[in-house]
Amino acid sequence: MKMTEELKKAQANLVPGAIVEEGFLGHDRRPLADIIQHDEEAFAEHGLSWDAVAERLKYLLAEGEKGLGEPVTVEGKWRVFVYEARGQFACPWEDGLFHKDSVTVQRLENGHPVGDRLVFNQLCIHMLEKHHFLEGLGSSFRLHPAALRNVLNL
Amino acid sequence: MFPLSTLAAQALLIGGVSVLMAVMISVIDSIVNNYGDVQLDINGKKQVTVKGGSKLLGTLADQGIFLPSACGGRGSCGACKCQVKSDVGPHLPTEVPYLTQQELRENVRLACQVKVKADIGIEIPEDLFNIKKLSCTVESMTNLTYDIKEVRLKLPEGSDLTYTAGQYGQIEVPAYGGIREPSARAYSFASAPQEKDTLEFLIRLVPGGTVTTYVHKFLKVGDKINVVAPVGDFRVHDTQAAMICVGGGSGMAPFRSIFRDMEARGVLGERDIWYFFGGHSVKDLYFMDWLKELEAKYERFHFIPAVSEPGPGEVWEGKPARLIDVLAEKFKTEIPRELIKEGYLCGSPGMLDACMDIMRKNGMTDDKIYFDKFA
Repeated sequence: MKMTEELKKAQANLVPGAIVEEGFLGHDRRPLADIIQHDEEAFAEHGLSWDAVAERLKYLLAEGEKGLGEPVTVEGKWRVFVYEARGQFACPWEDGLFHKDSVTVQRLENGHPVGDRLVFNQLCIHMLEKHHFLEGLGSSFRLHPAALRNVLNL
Repeated sequence: MFPLSTLAAQALLIGGVSVLMAVMISVIDSIVNNYGDVQLDINGKKQVTVKGGSKLLGTLADQGIFLPSACGGRGSCGACKCQVKSDVGPHLPTEVPYLTQQELRENVRLACQVKVKADIGIEIPEDLFNIKKLSCTVESMTNLTYDIKEVRLKLPEGSDLTYTAGQYGQIEVPAYGGIREPSARAYSFASAPQEKDTLEFLIRLVPGGTVTTYVHKFLKVGDKINVVAPVGDFRVHDTQAAMICVGGGSGMAPFRSIFRDMEARGVLGERDIWYFFGGHSVKDLYFMDWLKELEAKYERFHFIPAVSEPGPGEVWEGKPARLIDVLAEKFKTEIPRELIKEGYLCGSPGMLDACMDIMRKNGMTDDKIYFDKFA
């Protein structure tokens, strides 16, 4: 996949300190185009739809916000905790500002959280939906395709 | 195959060119971005000469003047507002979302986004001159729950920090892992102002949070850590109105400071206080013995705990309910309507908005509801 000017600009914003202290790439040293292409392939392998994943994450975020700063159980299937932090993030593609928050989702079995844990924020959902970017390997907010499939029941 | 000497010569040439280019970039940068000395006028009272070229937030910090900042100067919290009296160019797109129309008209700026290039005049509240940067030592760290730690810091000798219960400090952690620069976040004091040589904080681990991750995973007893303090205007108002206080999770911190301060001053029993504290499950609750002791000791102190979803096997005597539902219920059944009341809230924006709605429905007015918003 070719690194367009848009992707080059976004990649410059993904490094530590540009928008967030940790950056968005973790220890991933691949060009942004390769990261996106690889995750698009992984999405296809797992039978995931970008829109369906984004919609499910938005739904869980909205339900989690009802906890008003404490975890909530959603449909008896998920434990969702939304922590709201002060301020906003700019999208690395420079196409929007998103509230800083931290959403944690885990699947429940017999009332106990089990398996993979998803950690994301509103910007993650936007980048997933609009740019097919799940963050680099090792990033705290990376959404692994396999974990998305396992946790979201899609 | 190239002879080794040819490869070495090529490597030397490439290295030399690289060094030359680096030197040229450095020289050009020093010429283009050399703004020289500039005059910084603060409130028309204090004039200092500073080196131009840095962001206003950092320039002020170098002068020992600390504006509130919850994001470490990345333009993502909107806390470091100050009015700029001179022309520093139009507002940047990174500033506009955080400013009201009036603030835009009055040229209020985010100090972390304004570069000091020429003489500049600013207006800041006088009390910001009291904010200091303190190099503290971690005295103890205690797990209060699975995700909340009490961090107790020893203040440096002779620091003479004076603060009001309800205020906060900005904890600065060093670069670590993939994070290349120090990061700072704001946390309410949990200690009483009468404890002159220590500060306490209650810090909840936020998944993916830069500072909370450092505090929970890396910070240890004996470490040095910087705190910029005191900041904020959340405090108890000196009236006889009943205090309706709500702060769940780590939102207990300012109330722990406030109640300890009131007790130390001998005024905790002098007005009606309801404190609503809660969590998702029983394992989210802490300092329960202390709060029950206060309730037993002071007739007018009412402690109302809430648990929304007791975990499997947990015993909870009350009816499971969210904190705000318990608040609404107590307004109906326990808190006398005729009492003059003040609201004191600490928590997430969603929680605060929900509490304010309930308080308004029960006759309280916005000007008597004070809050310390996490966000």
